[in-house]
Parts: sequence; C-alpha cells; structure tokens
Amino acid sequence: MKNVQKVLVLLILIALCSTVLFAQGVQEKPKAGGTLNVYSIMPEKYATKIFEEFTKDTGIKVNFVRLSSGEALARLIAEKANPQVDALWGGPADTYEAGVLEGVFDVYSPSEAEKVPAQFRSKDGYWTGIGIIPLTFLSNAKYLKDKGLNPPASWTDLLDPAYRNSLQMADARTSGTATERIYSLVKVYGEDEAYAYQKKLHQNVQLYTKGGAGGAMPIATGQAASGVFYIVDALDIQQQGYDLVISYPKEGVTYGVEASGIIKGAKNKAAAQALMDWASSKRLGEVMVANLINYIPTRPDVTVTNPSLDMSQVKLLEADSTWKGENRTRFVERWIAEVIQQ
Amino acid sequence: MHETNAFRPTRKSLMKTDPALFSALVAVWLSFAIFIFLPVIRLLITTFYVDGIFSLANMRKVLGTSYNIKALYGSLILATSVSIAGTFLGYIFALAVTRTALPRPLKVLLGAVTILPLISPPFTSSISLTLALGPNGMLLKALGIGDFSIYGFLGTWISETLTYFPVAFMVISAILNTMSATLDDAALSLGASRWRMFTTITIPLSLPGIGNSILLLFGASLADFATPLILGGHTFPVLPTEAYLMITGMFDLRGGATLSFLLLVPALLVFFLQRMLLGNKSFVSVTGKNGARTEFAKLPTALSVFICAVCLFIVAFILYLYAIILWGSFVKVWSVNNTFTLEHYAYVFKHGQKAISDTLLIAFLSTVIGSVLAVVIGYVAQRKQFFGKRFFEFTSMLNYALPGTVVGIAYIIAFNQKPILLTGTLSILVAAYVFRYYATGIRSVIASLEQIDPALEEASMSLGASSVRTFTHVTIPLIIPAVLAGMRYLFIHCMTAISATIFLVSVRWTLLTTRILESMTELQFSQASAFSMVLIVIVFLADALMLYLLKVTTSKFHKPQEISYEKVGA
Repeated sequence: MKNVQKVLVLLILIALCSTVLFAQGVQEKPKAGGTLNVYSIMPEKYATKIFEEFTKDTGIKVNFVRLSSGEALARLIAEKANPQVDALWGGPADTYEAGVLEGVFDVYSPSEAEKVPAQFRSKDGYWTGIGIIPLTFLSNAKYLKDKGLNPPASWTDLLDPAYRNSLQMADARTSGTATERIYSLVKVYGEDEAYAYQKKLHQNVQLYTKGGAGGAMPIATGQAASGVFYIVDALDIQQQGYDLVISYPKEGVTYGVEASGIIKGAKNKAAAQALMDWASSKRLGEVMVANLINYIPTRPDVTVTNPSLDMSQVKLLEADSTWKGENRTRFVERWIAEVIQQ
Repeated sequence: MHETNAFRPTRKSLMKTDPALFSALVAVWLSFAIFIFLPVIRLLITTFYVDGIFSLANMRKVLGTSYNIKALYGSLILATSVSIAGTFLGYIFALAVTRTALPRPLKVLLGAVTILPLISPPFTSSISLTLALGPNGMLLKALGIGDFSIYGFLGTWISETLTYFPVAFMVISAILNTMSATLDDAALSLGASRWRMFTTITIPLSLPGIGNSILLLFGASLADFATPLILGGHTFPVLPTEAYLMITGMFDLRGGATLSFLLLVPALLVFFLQRMLLGNKSFVSVTGKNGARTEFAKLPTALSVFICAVCLFIVAFILYLYAIILWGSFVKVWSVNNTFTLEHYAYVFKHGQKAISDTLLIAFLSTVIGSVLAVVIGYVAQRKQFFGKRFFEFTSMLNYALPGTVVGIAYIIAFNQKPILLTGTLSILVAAYVFRYYATGIRSVIASLEQIDPALEEASMSLGASSVRTFTHVTIPLIIPAVLAGMRYLFIHCMTAISATIFLVSVRWTLLTTRILESMTELQFSQASAFSMVLIVIVFLADALMLYLLKVTTSKFHKPQEISYEKVGA
C-alpha cells in the first residue's frame, strides 16, 4: 500500500499548497487614493444611493459591507491590528462611544463640523452625526379598526390587554432600537419605574426581534399589531404601500444620532477624510431628502420636505450619547434579568 | 504542540514501517495546526486570560446566570430531538426511495424535494414557516386554528428537523444503496418473513448510517444559530444564539467565546458515544464474495404504506413552504400589491452579480480541497492504526462541532496578524468552509469503509495487482458513492452556510447568503425571496450534476462484481 500513500500525500500537499497560493494570490495591494473601504451599519439600500452620489461628487469609489452595529464593532475590535476598512458609516452614536473606549477610532474634525450642532458630534472629534432618528409607534391600521382602538398616543396605551400577545419590538441584546426604547422609558419614568413598566409590557409582547426593523414586516402583514421603531424604518415600510399608522407617545421619545467616523490605522486616510468632509456638508442632507431616506439631517440648514419628519408636534427628550454609552450595558443586563427572565 | 507529542512514542517505528503514512499524518496535522488549533487556542486565550493571567472569571460569570444554564439545556434538548426526528424522517425517506415499489418518477420527486430545505439558507425556510404557521399565519387561518405559537421550542424543532433531515436521508440512502441485495434474497429463500428480513438484516446493516446521521444532525443542530434566532423567541434560548447575541449585541467577545466553549462538552460526549456504539462491531457487507446484483427485496406492505404516507405529507408541506417564497419573489410588494413583476430578479442580477460569482468560486474551491482532505483523513482513520488516532479523528471534527459564530470570530483573531495574514482574502473563507464542512465527507468515507471488508484489498494485492492499482480499481470505486455524497453536502453547505462566514466576508469577497440576510433585515421580502430562488436554482443544478455522477459511479462499482461472479461460475 506504500505507493497508494505516496499518492495520497501528494494530493494533500497539493491541496495545502493551493490554499497557500490562493492566500498569496488574493493579497491585493491597497490602491492609492481612488478607493475607500467601509463598514456600513446604515442599511444597504440607503448606503448604495448615498455612496453613488459621493462617488459622483469626488470620484472616490466606495466598497462596503453592511453589518449590524454589534457585529461591526466586534469586527473592528478584532481587526484592530490590521484594519480592513477605513471608515464606519451610520449606526448609533453610542456604538461609536463604545468603539472609542476600545481605541478603534481616529480623531478627525470634518471641514464643516462646526455647522453640525454640538450634541450631534463627538466631544473629542471621534465621530460626526449624519442623521437623527426619533422613536415612534407603528401600528397595523386594520388591527386597530377591528379592535376599535385609537392609534397609541401614550406609552401606557401599549399596556392595554387588547394588545395581548400582539406587539413586536426589538431585543435589547442585539438592537440599538431596543436600547433607545429603554433610554426613552428611563427618561420618561425614571429607571425603576421604567423597568416596572417593561415587565408589564412584556405580557403583550409576542416576539422580541433581533433587528430593530424586524417587527415592521409582521406588523405590516397583520401578524402583529403594533411596535416601537425608529422613524426611518417605520416610514420606509409605510412608503412600500402597507396600511400602517405612525404615532408618537405624549410623554415623549428620545432619538438616535446616526454617526460616521474614521478607523485608526486606515489605509486610505485621505479618502476617508473626504467622506467625512462630504458628510458634514449640506450635500448629504440634500441627497437623503431627494432619495426619500428618512433620517432628519443633522445640518439644521437642510430643508426637510416630508411632513412625517416635522418634529414640531413631537416631544423630543434629550439623551446625551455619553450617558447612553455609559449606561447601555447595565440597562441591557437589567433588561435580561428582570424583563426576559421573569 | 499536541501533534508532535502525539507522535513521539511511535515516531521511530512508524517512520520505518510506514513512511508514507507518517508523511501523510505530518501533512494533515500541519493543516490542523494552522486551521484548527491556532484559532481555537487564540480563542481560549481570549476566554481564559484576563490581563495576561489565567482566570476563570469569565466562566464563573457566564455559569452564574440561570438564563445561560437554561440555554445549555435548551441546546441539548433541541439537538437530541432534532437528531432523533431528523434521522427517523431521513430513514423513512431512504427506505421509500430504495425499498418500496413507488413508481420511479415519484422517487425522483422525493429525492428532489428533500434537498430543497438543504439547499436554501436555513433562515429562508424559517421565514416561510413563520408566514405559514406564525401568528395570523396563512396555513393556520386556512385550517381554522386560532391559538398556536410557533415561537419557542416547537417552531425551532420543526424548522431544524425539516432543514436537516435531508442530511440523514443522504447518508442513510448511500448506505442502503451499497448493501448487498443477495442478503435479502438469502433471507427470503431461507423462509424468513419480510418483517424479519427488515429487522434482522436491513436495520442492523444500516446502523453505521443511522449513528452517523445522528451525530451529524446533533452537531448541526447544536451549532445552528439562524433558526433559533428567528423562531426561538425569548422563551427558548439556546447556546449558539446566546453566544451570537453576546458577541454581536453586547460586544462581549469573551462572554460569547465562554458560552460556546460550553458546547464542546456535549459535542465531545456524542463523539465518544458514537465510537463506543459502532467502534467494535463489524458491518462488512461488501465482501466481494456475493453473486450477481439483484433488486432489493421490498418491505412489508403495511410498512410501505406508512412510509409512503409520511413521505407524501412531508413533501407536500415542504412544497407549500417553498411556493410561498417563489410567489414572494414575483410580486411587487408582499401581501399588498400582488402584481407580477420581474424587477426583483433584475435587481439580483444587477447588484448581486459579484455575490453570485464569489459564492460559486468559493464553494467550488472548498468542495474540491475539502473532498481530497476528507478521503485522506477518512481512509487513514478507518484503515490505519497509529498513536493518537481518536484524537486525530476528534480534531478533524472540531471546527464542525464548534458553533460557526465562534469559528468565524476565532479565525478573525487568529489570521489578522502576521505570520498568517488572511483576513479579507478568499483563502480565509475557503479554509473556514473546508475545515468546517468536510466533516460530512469524512464520516461518509468512514461509514462506507466500515462496510467494505479489507479482504477485498488484500485479495487484489495477493492476486498480483499493485497497491496503486488496488487503490484506484478497488478502494476508490467502492467508496466513490460515499465521497460524492460527502461532496454534495460540502458544496451545498458552502453555498448556503452563513454562521461562520458572516464574520469573514469582506469588501472584496462577499456571499449570497449575507446578501439574503441583508435583504431580510431591510424588510425587502421579495428581494430576499428572489436572491433565495437564484441560490436554490444554482445549487439545485450543481446538485443534479453530482447526483448524476453518483449514479454513474455506483453502477460502475457493481460491474466488477458481476464479472467476478461470471469468473467464479466458470
């Protein structure tokens, strides 16, 4: 059998060598100037349009992968020794704060940063806000009609037994939308009261979805009645033509700040800086308005046309990104211990 | 490192008596060291070293939460239920195809339909299952069932069983096909009833396949995170999902690594259990001494009827679930605007082109490299004796037993720094697939070799054939159905798996499955359906090709026997 084994050994060696060869073969050298590699937490359909406009304006080509905020941060931390991307695009500012603590981001102050209000950018210049998204209630119009309900106008409306086993909202372990919900409740009720409320709310929850927008489709198709979402996700599904109602609680909601930042050790630093400069200009806000991308621009001087984004009738609660970043883990752990495991 | 220690006691003798085996082992151990040990060790360091000191703090923290303990139980209960139910269903389907009088077209339909769940990403079928059986589900409404919750154990169990039973079907039908039909004839002509033949010949001879399938399904269910992620809800936590949530949601790599470390214990247990169950028995049935091939005897009528009824029910249900996805891919907006449109497919071919070609290239490379490795490892593990053999076998399965999420994270940590800088490359994706999914190939080769009497190879050699001729004309033809069965599964997995590689896709190399998951999270149900359909069609075509090869090679393998019978007869 010796010859047989020689053949086998040869085969293994070929297999191994080919692996190594491929490893060498695809190690492309980073091209100078013209390209930018990005992790986008912003949904792909928005990022594609925005980056297309950016490329038109600057000639810089953008390669990107869409990741959830936790995944993006986990990857950035794991890749710290050899960063694979130059910038992080979109995603809640508290994710950026967590990344700053891990030493993932570089300081950069975009050319028009001072035109962006101070609460929408990092104090130390690690990230800059590109959009604002308040929380909102999204309900299935037919469900409300069948049960004779008005659209929920207060957080306590969601405790109505009519909603029993028919709310879907995000899981605090995976979703920034869910932690935003906790921040809102803590700002409205105070911490202990907020958790007492969530325990009651839990009785009506059918499913905690992994993604912030995960419950929107079930609500649209009538699998679930109502839920709490960022306005951008709620408007997006409504614009697809489903019969849905958007309403706000009278006690108020907090809002998320979508951010952007440069990765420490970025291989295409100049291109990344160009993206940040572009994002802090009025141009980004105008692109978003023109493409029905429903973030409220951080630049106050951009005119918003969609009436649903008019916040003058909505009570917005202030929640500082640093406060969010500091409390996030504790809030989520308490949510697991008291709400999920009860 | 482990491998050099494992060798030392026998190095001298092994080098002398079997230098080829020795070098084969060195080569394989080397690849294990790089692609299995290095990532795992880096991961253990992350788990057990806090600030440079060995510490159990992470472990204590994780084990101190009742929810995590619940997740451990959940994983075990789920994996056990899925492996039993899936193997049962797989066995029934395998019997229907190999041992009943069902008309041929129906058998082809059975085979074709069963691979549907396998060739689509698991979360796709979870979504259609939700639409059918979820709250306000279409099937529930049609049947008038009001209060039924799919979220939790039940939904996860149904979905995983439907997803993984085709694996059992593939493994078991390969075994049932290579059994010798003359044993059936002998039993019947000696006066045994068909029941007695079934319980004393068919079942015992298929034990390697059953054990193999239970092990594979247990492992697959233990590591699956996508299905519980969608259907588990918060009432039924399982470890891989909790680990994934901890890493992606809480940014807690240590906690997630520690949680998944707990999964190693049941994985080890199952592995040793299987060795104990099957290790000492002989399942030789291809002896080379049997005569002309005859048809397999049919099963008792009552059993046949039951089997066909179960198969048709399952097939109808699967077709219904996939009809939902097919329909969804052709309508403008799911459930609101049901106008027929091709715009989603246009989008897929415009924006998904790179994902399609990347996925195909990666799957093709992984299948070829993985199959070669699987044949070598399976052959060495089954036919050869050497020190540390069980450890060798276990190591080869390690990446498969670990949840994909953890393998993905471990690969990033291990291959993101010199000397082996692989992140963002094609090879990291290929390596992740090869060392994770060649397991099916290995098990399949081993199970097949267990059925083949080494006397066949010895006979060939003593009749004057060279060892190369023996290998190419006896061993390879005999195990080729098993190798191809393993290749099919490897290819399918490379096309559809996501748990490990979701962490390894980069701006340069992207996969279809991540695009589908993306469309799902962006609520583009129709777009996700179109992506899924494209993926399913590609895999289905590739699979049909391999099935054809399997058929050709199986019939080739029977020819020598007929010839040998003629010679004996003369």
